[in-house]
Amino acid sequence: MDGSEPDAPVDLAITRDTPVGYRLQSLKKKAAIQLMGSRLWGRFNPNHWDPVYAASTGLKAPIQTGEMSSAYLAEMCVNHFGAAFFQNARVVCKYVASTHADEIITTHGVVREKIPKGDGYRFIVDIWAENDAAEKKTVGWVEVDVGV
Amino acid sequence: MIQPLPAADALKPMSPLQVRQTREFIDNLASEAKPYWDMVEIGDQLSRDLLLSAELVILYADGVEDFNPWYEGWRMNSWSIDGESPFGGAIVPPLLVSHFVLSVQFDATRPFSIGSIHTFHDSEILAPIPVGATVRITTTAVDKFEKRERRYVRHGVTVTDVESGILYFKETRDILSL
Repeated sequence: MDGSEPDAPVDLAITRDTPVGYRLQSLKKKAAIQLMGSRLWGRFNPNHWDPVYAASTGLKAPIQTGEMSSAYLAEMCVNHFGAAFFQNARVVCKYVASTHADEIITTHGVVREKIPKGDGYRFIVDIWAENDAAEKKTVGWVEVDVGV
Repeated sequence: MIQPLPAADALKPMSPLQVRQTREFIDNLASEAKPYWDMVEIGDQLSRDLLLSAELVILYADGVEDFNPWYEGWRMNSWSIDGESPFGGAIVPPLLVSHFVLSVQFDATRPFSIGSIHTFHDSEILAPIPVGATVRITTTAVDKFEKRERRYVRHGVTVTDVESGILYFKETRDILSL
């Protein structure tokens, strides 16, 4: 296999025919303190897992590393774009607010634009992650070639 | 009014021994901390090689509860496996290398950088990275700027295969510094 075959589940796969306005299927994740403070993720910085240290630096609770939020959004995109998301794709994320421990985060994505390219399109998809109060935490967009 | 500090075990259960060990760990980190702004000059370039072992990939993916089988070059009971993905064997998650950039741009041989927050990334995923590859992460400080009375440090990043030289990934990223 060279990555050109269809690979995302049929009911999720974004194809040449997917219209502007299409909404990606959301994912839900909990900002669990045990994961935020794991060695690979946030252990190096107590702001990511220790309530005492976080409070001493002015935070109301430990905050997730932004990259966890980016990873959630990337997982959503892989569900829809499959192998195409690993070749000549672009991901832009701005962390506009902190994700605090115990918050539930939901990912979102909406196809904003399709730019003709080769035999297919370069899809532009607005993406964001928000909490249960609909407060946006991460906003950005992805660009992915489909059927090019 | 000054708010009292929360309890160390406010978010998860801890015994007195665990609380003590946590405080010792944090005190050691904080004792040598400096603001990131003061530790970086424009043009500073740092580079390190990272083996993307199957176990490292699993640790990353488990931390964000992403259980896509494409990332599995290690599986419980089977242990080391080739894995399967649309590209053949197991590959690393698309933004995994972005997470490890901080281990390069925050020079691990220097003091802990206190109060830094990653605020932005513009990432180009150019080619799939096979599990087991060794990549070279190179960061270059390209700008230091102030915006709305906050200080930011901007880096340019490349990630290449140490053996083949393939450019897998590029990124621009901002860190907010105290």
